Amino acid sequence: MKNIEIKTTQQRTNPLANVFDRFMQFCQSRSLFMLHYCTGCGAIELPPAMTSRFDMERLGIQPMVTPRQADILLITGYVSVKTLKRVILTYEQMQSPKYVIGICSCTVNGGMYWQSYATAKKLNDYLPVDLYIAGCMPRPEAVIEGLQLLQNKIANNDGHSWKDYFQNYDYYLGNQQHLFGEDWQTPTDIITEAKHYGLEAEGTYGKHTELLAKHQHPLQPLPLKTNN
Amino acid sequence: MNLQSNDLLKKFKNIKVTYVRDRRIRVDISHEAVANFLGMIKGQGSYIHLSAISCVDWIKDNEFELVYHCWSYEENQLISLHTRINRKEAEMISVYDIYKPAEFFERDIFEMYGITFIGSPKMEKFILTEWDGMPPMLKDFDAEAYVMDTFNWTDYQPDWLKDIEKEGGGIAIKPEDIRFHATSPSPTDD
Repeated sequence: MKNIEIKTTQQRTNPLANVFDRFMQFCQSRSLFMLHYCTGCGAIELPPAMTSRFDMERLGIQPMVTPRQADILLITGYVSVKTLKRVILTYEQMQSPKYVIGICSCTVNGGMYWQSYATAKKLNDYLPVDLYIAGCMPRPEAVIEGLQLLQNKIANNDGHSWKDYFQNYDYYLGNQQHLFGEDWQTPTDIITEAKHYGLEAEGTYGKHTELLAKHQHPLQPLPLKTNN
Repeated sequence: MNLQSNDLLKKFKNIKVTYVRDRRIRVDISHEAVANFLGMIKGQGSYIHLSAISCVDWIKDNEFELVYHCWSYEENQLISLHTRINRKEAEMISVYDIYKPAEFFERDIFEMYGITFIGSPKMEKFILTEWDGMPPMLKDFDAEAYVMDTFNWTDYQPDWLKDIEKEGGGIAIKPEDIRFHATSPSPTDD
């Protein structure tokens, strides 16, 4: 990942507003919704982490079934190239602020599938990953500790990796195009979103986004038809 | 159908029947006779279940080996029908009209090994719909070179470990947390 400094939110001058901001960050960190998108074998450690044995809900982390209402995208294990496309589509559908956690060694370096032609290796080439939880597979304790780290990051106004996706979009898009081919396009228009959020930066544009603009076509509604 | 006592087998030339063990028979046959043989054991025998078709790439012999696994619920016997085809002109007659599930097995082999099955209803991509390269299960596909060419790697950063140790992490276990002791003596005991 390119190390470009991410602009953190500026402290406001009004001390009362500061307190309010801190309070908001605290509340946000204690109410996280985690998307169920289980890609690999690490997902088997999540049911005990979520349910009565280790009980993630006491920390304010709950599972959520749709990307639109979720905060955290957990990548639990190996991501095949085909799955990675769907993961990126899912990630782009989520609302900001959003966080990506890579669980298991597969998301770090391919793990035991490092030789496989079908498995994507380094997840933070394609998505801005907030933190990795290594292990094959990490125990529920480790998963919960990792999630607590993320909570602390958010509470301390430090969890801004999602902005990196807008500010360095060209880098991520370049890696995606390298893997999926040059005609790769997602339904979400990231550049327009970056403008909307006011997160345009130097890295948003580049030769890869130019390539995207050449063939990008607006999203069409799906035709209504039944299969014969 | 008991293969040992039946005269039907004499109709096939170049056939080799090996009784591997109880309930397991290996048949080696030339590839032209595969459809006939399968039709015979399904129609006149009771081998109604084609459980799988597997494929082996014998790159040194320049041949593919196809194995048809057929199961009989009456005899409780498995026939593995082995046949070999040329690796260059990788073509085979489909057995879809005898066993309907063969459609998926043949499509899978077509995708992974590039063998065309003549008469199979759908000779197209099955699982690797987004793969454009050569069939990946072939022995001359160098997966490692492909991976090195395509993907980046995360560098090993030992500083991460130092950070964890600073926070009291790592693999150190406090004495009061040890509940089970290893049976082998530790090096300090000597």
